[in-house]
Amino acid sequence: MDTWKNIKDRESGKLRPNSFANRIKSNRISQLELSNHKELVSPHKGSINSLQIDLTEGRYLLSAASDASVAVYDVHRPSDFNGDGLITKHNCLFFVDKQHQLAHKYAVSSAIWYPIDTGLFITGSYDHHVNVWDTNTTQVVVNFKMPGKVYKTAMSTLSTSHTLIAAGTEDVQVRLCDIASGAFAHTLSGHRDGVMTVEWSASSEWVLITGGCDGAIRFWDIRRAGCFQVLNQSQTQLGRRPPLLKRSVLTKESNTKMRPVQKKVANGSGSGHLPIGRLSSKGPMKQKLHPGMISTQDRATAHYGAVTGLKVTEDGMYLLSAGSDSRLRLWDVESGCDTLVNFETVRLQTSKPIQLATTQDSTVVFVPCMRVVKAFDMWSGNARTILRGHYESVNSCWFNQQDQELYTGGNDRQILVWSPARSIADEMGEGDPDDQDSWSN
Amino acid sequence: MSIWNYVVTAHKPTNVTHSCVGNFTSPQDLNLILAKCTRIEIHLLTAQGLQSILDVPLYGRIATLELFRPHGETQDFLFIATERYKFCVLQWDTEKSELVTRSMGDVSDRIGRPTDNGQIGIIDPDCRLIGLHLYDGLFKVIPFDNKGQLKEAFNIRLEELQVLDIKFLYGCPKPTIVVLYQDNKDARHVKTYEVALKDKDFVEGPWSQNSLDNGADLLIPVPPPLCGVLIIGEETIVYCSANGFKAIPIRAAITKAYGRVDPDGSRYLLGDHTGLLSLLVITHEKEKVTGLKIEPLGETSIASTISYLDNAFVYIGSSYGDSQLIKLNLQPDPKGSYVEVLERYVNLGPIVDFCVVDLERQGQGQVVTCSGAYKDGSLRVVRNGIGINEQASVELQGIKGMWSLRSSTDDPFDTFLVVSFISETRILAMNLEDELEETEIEGFCSQVQTLFCHDAVHNQLVQVTSNSVRLVSSSTRELLNEWHAPSDYSVNVATANATQVLLATGGGHLVYLEIGDGILQEVKHAQLEYEISCLDINPIGENPNQSQLAAVGMWTDISVRLFSLPELNLITKEHLGGEIIPRSVLLCAFEGISYLLCALGDGHLLNFMLNTSTGELTDRKKVSLGTQPITLRTFSSKNTTHVFAASDRPTVIYSSNKKLLYSNVNLKEVSHMCPFNSAAFPDSLAIAKEGELTIGTIDDIQKLHIRTIPLGEHARRICHQEQTRTFAICSLKYNSASAEESEMHFVRLLDDQTFDFISVYPLDTYEYGCFIISCSFSDDNNVYYCVGTAYVLPEENEPTKGRILVFSVEEGKLQLVAEKETKGAVYCLNAFNGKLLAAINQKIQLYKWVLREDGTRELQSECGHHGHILALYVQTRGDFIVVGDLMKSISLLIYKHEEGAIEERARDYNANWMSAVEILDDDVYLGAENSFNLFTVRKNSEGATDEERGRLEVAGEYHLGEFINRFRHGSLVMRLPDSDVGQIPTVIFGTINGVIGVIASLPHEQYVFLEKLQSNLRKVIKGVGGLSHEQWRSFNNEKKTVEARNFLDGDLIESFLDLKRSKMDEISKAMEVSVEELAKRVEELTRLH
Repeated sequence: MDTWKNIKDRESGKLRPNSFANRIKSNRISQLELSNHKELVSPHKGSINSLQIDLTEGRYLLSAASDASVAVYDVHRPSDFNGDGLITKHNCLFFVDKQHQLAHKYAVSSAIWYPIDTGLFITGSYDHHVNVWDTNTTQVVVNFKMPGKVYKTAMSTLSTSHTLIAAGTEDVQVRLCDIASGAFAHTLSGHRDGVMTVEWSASSEWVLITGGCDGAIRFWDIRRAGCFQVLNQSQTQLGRRPPLLKRSVLTKESNTKMRPVQKKVANGSGSGHLPIGRLSSKGPMKQKLHPGMISTQDRATAHYGAVTGLKVTEDGMYLLSAGSDSRLRLWDVESGCDTLVNFETVRLQTSKPIQLATTQDSTVVFVPCMRVVKAFDMWSGNARTILRGHYESVNSCWFNQQDQELYTGGNDRQILVWSPARSIADEMGEGDPDDQDSWSN
Repeated sequence: MSIWNYVVTAHKPTNVTHSCVGNFTSPQDLNLILAKCTRIEIHLLTAQGLQSILDVPLYGRIATLELFRPHGETQDFLFIATERYKFCVLQWDTEKSELVTRSMGDVSDRIGRPTDNGQIGIIDPDCRLIGLHLYDGLFKVIPFDNKGQLKEAFNIRLEELQVLDIKFLYGCPKPTIVVLYQDNKDARHVKTYEVALKDKDFVEGPWSQNSLDNGADLLIPVPPPLCGVLIIGEETIVYCSANGFKAIPIRAAITKAYGRVDPDGSRYLLGDHTGLLSLLVITHEKEKVTGLKIEPLGETSIASTISYLDNAFVYIGSSYGDSQLIKLNLQPDPKGSYVEVLERYVNLGPIVDFCVVDLERQGQGQVVTCSGAYKDGSLRVVRNGIGINEQASVELQGIKGMWSLRSSTDDPFDTFLVVSFISETRILAMNLEDELEETEIEGFCSQVQTLFCHDAVHNQLVQVTSNSVRLVSSSTRELLNEWHAPSDYSVNVATANATQVLLATGGGHLVYLEIGDGILQEVKHAQLEYEISCLDINPIGENPNQSQLAAVGMWTDISVRLFSLPELNLITKEHLGGEIIPRSVLLCAFEGISYLLCALGDGHLLNFMLNTSTGELTDRKKVSLGTQPITLRTFSSKNTTHVFAASDRPTVIYSSNKKLLYSNVNLKEVSHMCPFNSAAFPDSLAIAKEGELTIGTIDDIQKLHIRTIPLGEHARRICHQEQTRTFAICSLKYNSASAEESEMHFVRLLDDQTFDFISVYPLDTYEYGCFIISCSFSDDNNVYYCVGTAYVLPEENEPTKGRILVFSVEEGKLQLVAEKETKGAVYCLNAFNGKLLAAINQKIQLYKWVLREDGTRELQSECGHHGHILALYVQTRGDFIVVGDLMKSISLLIYKHEEGAIEERARDYNANWMSAVEILDDDVYLGAENSFNLFTVRKNSEGATDEERGRLEVAGEYHLGEFINRFRHGSLVMRLPDSDVGQIPTVIFGTINGVIGVIASLPHEQYVFLEKLQSNLRKVIKGVGGLSHEQWRSFNNEKKTVEARNFLDGDLIESFLDLKRSKMDEISKAMEVSVEELAKRVEELTRLH
């Protein structure tokens, strides 16, 4: 609906303020396109592997690239203007590359902000190191040596009692590096191959989710030994809730009445990619048998091939996973069941981790699909928009919740900004001589 | 610096959001309980109507309000949940007449997204559990144990994403909910779930129903014996249960509220978005539902809640208009309506815009609000203080005193008005033509100043002059008796009642006389050590004609003394302290409590509680009313006694809830006042002011006066033009006849006295009026109304076209002088440096007013500034422009004259979604945001780096709990330049719930003192339901929660005055400041609103 009417309804109390904000946001998200008013100038000479906006102010973008470089940009305050002041240019505030004596030697695969403030950031590199940097001095303050190439690092945004970096590497073990002590807190063993992606839970600071090249997605409570849940692609939400005993007569539709997601199964089965046993519903089954989990469960896989990306939705209730089997799956975190949302067939990169992004209201997920980024509707799995702009494969997406802007980075070394459409007509002024004067001065 | 702010409510919320009926205060009482967003009101239904029992603030915005009765209880408990995820169960303590908290808790969760459609809170009819839907995808259960106590809560996953309503079903062996939801194809369905308390999960319920009306939005559970649920849609109403299904089509309507009529659930009242009240009947044969019937009853305010009370009395709570008490008649009136409105309860909400004007030009601000919505739209004139409606006036200089007299003791009306001057006394009387003309009372001495006059028993009148007391017959008007002062002394002050006279002469002599039939008798004489400054013997005991006590004010030792009558024995002596003598004393009684009031020569007033039998004075309080000497007088209005304090700041002192209140009178300076209840001017007052004698009636004695001007359409923007004495509004009218929502928008001109529509300019189809200001331009002496509009086309996301219309008012008509097309909606307009500054979509645009060759004028764009998401709210000061963005907080721009350019100076990088902005001073800006918070930001011109200078630093944060639509500089009270509070700058705000509030920027020293007082009050005053004040006032939005800072809660601070003495002492001890001093400082603050 139109913005103006929403503003009018908000002021008269007809529209709740939070619904107002949600409507405006989702309206803006539906209008995302390559920004006609903002440019990020990438100094990187290699593919962009990681992007993140700081979590405190939503203002500073951190990027990491294969040329072992890291850069930070201010996405709010432009360094320059282009095109009669209508396009803001954002050069990086600082740039660390191989010239820097403490820089990584090989590709930086992951760069994240310290969640509490922008004073620190953490990088993980193929040179087997995880570095913790002081942002103001661009010096490494702590450094962890890992047993292999680092694929992904993550810190819990909820944490109030620990400062642990979870690192996924070539090694089968996931390591937790403690910034406070500068030492490994502990290691998590269970994966049978390297770990491409790690993600902290959005509801508990103690729960870590890891995705391995062995196709497994494991849930760990870092206070306890062993993982407590392994997602199983053959376990679905179908029939999770027992029906009431047939003591009351049902209306005749109610047997065929299904939740919308179940219809998707029927559609999805035609795509031919479904593994056998996907539809075998096992009925209700609580899977919280840790640590002595029976081995069949421990061997369960979430994807065929490697798990290349994980993303927990902002509400903490769902987990999205991407695999080298070119599948996207949406999991219900509490039950560990596949929700069976059938995302339209995509082709995903298989050799590298990919960074997915979701909107705050968990309705849209942005997925790098080779050279494009697809925006999927989370609940129907339909592709809403295809964002075309990169010349080579896209590796990472970051959605800026505050401004409803999407940043994407790819092998073409570019960082592109996707923002809600702005009417150019207004921007171009009114063809009024006075109007133009003021800007061409 | 205006960063230390004090926030206080001048007009409480009036938007009724919830209501329920039950036996709360006792098993026999039928109570109506109302929620007005942040307040709870408890009423008792009596034969006379609704009687208020309690009105308390709650530290939270009420999300749900439900009455329930646990097993084995004889009366109901009240369950309340707040929008910030607190809940409490309240019970009524009959002995103490107060609310008791039975249980309370927090139901917030880390996971889940707050629901879009509002929070739902429901209680199982068999009291097995409370259900809450607070986050999408989660249903929270708080089970009851066998004793009715609440157990630990847990969550159940609810897979339906877009839940519209949830209710418990009646008559189910296990607790069962029915869920109305929308799927991701926008189709709506209902389904049922049984709550398995042991497994903490749902079991698929007994029935469901798919593909309902697309407008289905409301579920009504039907109690036994029928059971099941009614699903109210926009075009159909469906009854649904495990063994039945019935549907009827209805006239297209959006049902906003319902109320159950019968306990068996066969009849319901439904209120729709146009204010139509209908009766829905479930026809049934025994327990089998046979059909549904709906019948329109008549029009009410647009209901947000309906409570059927008893005997066809119904309470209609409204968010968009006045709430009502109605009666449903058996027979329709001539217009076919069964609805009879018995009472209306004023609701100012939603205040969408307002302006502050001084229509009477007395320095007294009034607020004119755009209130209400749809058909209930109105303008409301809100005025503080008590008005005098002038009936007659004559020019008379040098009045020294005034008294009214009756022509006989039994005459209900006053006939004579005695006016005393420095060297003469004149008597006015009503003649046969009901005119006031000069007359004579032969027995009175008219060549000298009169000190006092009074009616006396036996049809007599008393006059006291400086050398004698004269007793005169009121029928023959002849002198009956005279008492002479000793020759070397003259009478200085005197007072009298119907049977007694007390006077004081020089040298400290106090003389007491009694009035008999035709005789004055000197009964007692006393010699005091100092001169006497004032006296009073107003009867406050049982005998209305005679007083047992005399109050005497003294020079030299600055004391007030009480003497017994007739003995003239000293009972009490109270030193007043200081060097200012008492100028007027008064004995009076309000609501059965006796007081001694004592006014000083510097405008201060002391009041004491008086024990009439012992003469003991307690609870001394001191307030400042003005700066000049005060004269106190009692008067009656609506059969209640009040006190008029005449001074440079006339005040009425009255009592409410056994507490003395002070309300200013809207007159500049009054030297004397006396009640003058004549046949021609009943219930009037005679007032001497500024060389004039005025007779007028007085408003109802209350603090705020609200006048309603119903418009029948929705006013959105208002402004006042002093020069043409007009208001202009942007308004819209809904066309409810067609199903498609269509609107017509107007610019209307109103007379500022009569509020009549005097001219109208209809806007184009699809054109909306967005903003209106009155302004003038450089090089042009005329004043104009400028209107910003937007073309809102159905297919467009955001308006791409709008207009700025410039009108002049000529002979009471709006004349379009110029118009300028814009490339978007004009959200805001400001007069700026003799030019016009407009906020158009993402852009700030400056227009100059140019004279064309043909002599006409036009707006020409000069420069602009981009870089906003939507510039919704703009304020200016000098060359500075402060912009409130849709979602990017506040930014500061500057206009550079030389370059003719607007540049950004600084911005606040927080992600606040703005609802209003205002400039407090050069450096501090005030903002209100979407999550009901207030904040201030400060310019940092001295910052060391560009980065620091470019950042507006957050200076203050506070959770108001109200959605502010508008700030305006101004004040609701008369500001006297020489009083302390007169120096404090204030901003007024208006909110959706109808709150008018004041934000006052305090000096730092005062702020620190009050902050300490506030933290002490937090310890002593416990929030209803055990809710914490500190948490409530903490700034809270989806990004962060931080403690409030640099804002004080004036409502809490001013509640100091309502505390019991023991609690006041407790605070006084902690503060190390006397109770009297605390009360005085707090009372001064109450003068801000």
